[in-house]
Amino acid sequence: MLTVGALSRGELDARLAGRGLYLQTGPFINAIRSTISHVSDGIALLYADYPLAASTEFADFHLHFPRSPLPRRLWRAQVRFDHDGVKPFAPLPEDQAWPMFEWVLNWCVSSRAHSYLMIHAAVVEKNGFAAILPAPPGSGKSTLCAALVHRGWRLLSDELTLVRLSDGLLQPLPRPVSLKNASIDVIRNYVDGAVFSRPIHETLKGTVAHLKAPADSVARAHETARPAWIVFPQYEAGAATSLTPLAPARAFMELAGNAFNYSLLGADGFEALAGLIGSSASYQFRYSSLDEAIATFNRLAPPAP
Amino acid sequence: MPGVSLRWRLLPGQRLRHHGWHGECVVFNDLTGDTHLLGAGVLPLLLAIAGGPIDFDELAEARPLLDSLAALGLIEAAAC
Amino acid sequence: MMAPAQLPLLVQLLRAPACVSGWSLKQWDLMLRQAVSANLTASVWSQLDGAGLLDVVPAAARRHLDWAHCLALRHGRAVRWEVRQIAEALAPLGLPLLLLKGAAYVMAGLEAGQGRLFSDIDILVPKERINEVESRLLLKGWMSGHHDPYDQRYYREWMHELPPMEHVKRETMIDVHHAILPPTARAHPDSRLLRAAAVAAAGQDCALVLQTLAPVDMVLHSATHLFFDGEFDHGLRDIVDLDRLLRRFGADESFWLALTPRALELGLQRPLFYALRYASWLLDSPVPAAVMAAAAQAGSPNPGLLALMDGLFGRALLPGHPSCGDGASAFARFSLYVRGNWLRMPPLMLARHLFHKAFISPKVAVGKV
Repeated sequence: MLTVGALSRGELDARLAGRGLYLQTGPFINAIRSTISHVSDGIALLYADYPLAASTEFADFHLHFPRSPLPRRLWRAQVRFDHDGVKPFAPLPEDQAWPMFEWVLNWCVSSRAHSYLMIHAAVVEKNGFAAILPAPPGSGKSTLCAALVHRGWRLLSDELTLVRLSDGLLQPLPRPVSLKNASIDVIRNYVDGAVFSRPIHETLKGTVAHLKAPADSVARAHETARPAWIVFPQYEAGAATSLTPLAPARAFMELAGNAFNYSLLGADGFEALAGLIGSSASYQFRYSSLDEAIATFNRLAPPAP
Repeated sequence: MPGVSLRWRLLPGQRLRHHGWHGECVVFNDLTGDTHLLGAGVLPLLLAIAGGPIDFDELAEARPLLDSLAALGLIEAAAC
Repeated sequence: MMAPAQLPLLVQLLRAPACVSGWSLKQWDLMLRQAVSANLTASVWSQLDGAGLLDVVPAAARRHLDWAHCLALRHGRAVRWEVRQIAEALAPLGLPLLLLKGAAYVMAGLEAGQGRLFSDIDILVPKERINEVESRLLLKGWMSGHHDPYDQRYYREWMHELPPMEHVKRETMIDVHHAILPPTARAHPDSRLLRAAAVAAAGQDCALVLQTLAPVDMVLHSATHLFFDGEFDHGLRDIVDLDRLLRRFGADESFWLALTPRALELGLQRPLFYALRYASWLLDSPVPAAVMAAAAQAGSPNPGLLALMDGLFGRALLPGHPSCGDGASAFARFSLYVRGNWLRMPPLMLARHLFHKAFISPKVAVGKV
């Protein structure tokens, strides 16, 4: 299967500027059109390992990121997201085109893909079992996720946990890991050869950069995983590492509150979440040291068969 | 009201889907789409009511709880 | 106006679902994009389901339809619960709960209600009781959306409805109308006539006492809503509603006989004419020739104006997707917006949601209140 990296930069730009780059992420095909250089740069840097769709006949999501028309483009150029003639979001400065791209890819999935229960959480896998890390912004989830996937864990996703309604298995959607502010340097130091997008300052979330997903995780995007652990991480400077069991019913309510489409799915969402809770052990997790955190994860016991 | 007996019953349309772990349980409300976390003892009460309408007076001590459950749209006091 | 084969794929499907057998994946891709722009994906699912054609849809396209259907199911549940809450809130007033538009279609179990997404519940109440209705709603948790005294007065004096009210907890919206057009509009359909002719909503929850407009009036209201309103963003969706209503009610001959006379009685002969003309052209709605002629006689504009309107509506009613227009489309939409507002006061646009988020209730335990 042809990957993005097999295209020359000229070919990549030509597709993006023309009929579209048909890029596969997990189970979704994205048709991307843009003439903004930040978008092409980001794709060339972070999506080289991703498959190109076998055909350009069909895409799940059609994404167009047009540049501002002249003369706007010459002064405070903007990027906006055009979704088949509908522009659901206000424009951002063109400098933030890359974070917008990543955010829009998330939005497309989380607002539509209702054959999954979709939870706002990172999910990683080792030895056939997956750990789900739900957490609000600021909890250190993405930093922890970025560290884990460079220490023996496979990345399924750092933002969107997809639970298949049909069988309860987790569908991978590996994409670049988004990191903010101090986390960027933490991971730069922690991971040899970490590849980052250019940090963008002054976004609503501060400074943002995206870390390239491990090639192995991308290559195994078709491999589902069994959920085994739900770990609510909380980073706290100087804290001792502690893993505390959490009552399943509480974990249930927390996850429901962190899901994109739990309410929309009604009874199906209820049953899917109950299945997830029933097959997993739930924990609160406090940590300050990445090494200790990873050691804790490596010691997690798989559920009884 | 003389001659009319009130009974507690599940609201028509409620299937009372539930799952429990370690003494707590979650219940799905088919009508509102809400999800409720219930403490120990509440589910058995709901299941009893689901089994067949129960006379109002029989459950007088649980009245505040039953009023809460009615406010959530799970049960109602109906004249039967 | 275009020949059927030149119509956008979405419109071809809505006209005649069987046309999808043999579609290429590329055609499915384009149709889905048109459907997204017209907010009709869930309607497409319903159409294909009704025609027994869901299984011929290729898997890649099928899942998009299923996703939209999932949304529609949830929407339907939310509507039914919301209508119930409104009925309970207003019960002490002894008024029949008369539903309009989407909520009416859903509660009456009409095809027009299947896959039909909308953000507000619309009801019709007598003008002289509107303050009581508002009071009951306020008591039961709804809030008026406009606190600005100017807005409040604007609505009460110039419009035919209360400012939209939002429920504090459920975040759902209700629009309380006392007429279907504002006093400033050119036509003044008499609400008392509409209410007098209202029928029981046969479909869903038997415990609730609900009404909808009579079939003829429902069609006329839909036509009025489309052709007097400024907003053509959902023009195709509204024509789909009309088509579904005409097909459902058209099985009864007395419906057709009553249609034009009733339009004249209510002063709505012009929108009726346009509705029948464009629904039959676009979606092949089965309008008997005699009825078409009667409606034209009663409500057609002069030939010059009609030609102009055909040109404008012909484009404005197509899906908003870039594949469906020529350069003239954006202009067509805008000029119809201007025209719409010439017939009535400008509507206020609000972003609204119908579904409430999962209300995670605090723990309820024995012994605690």
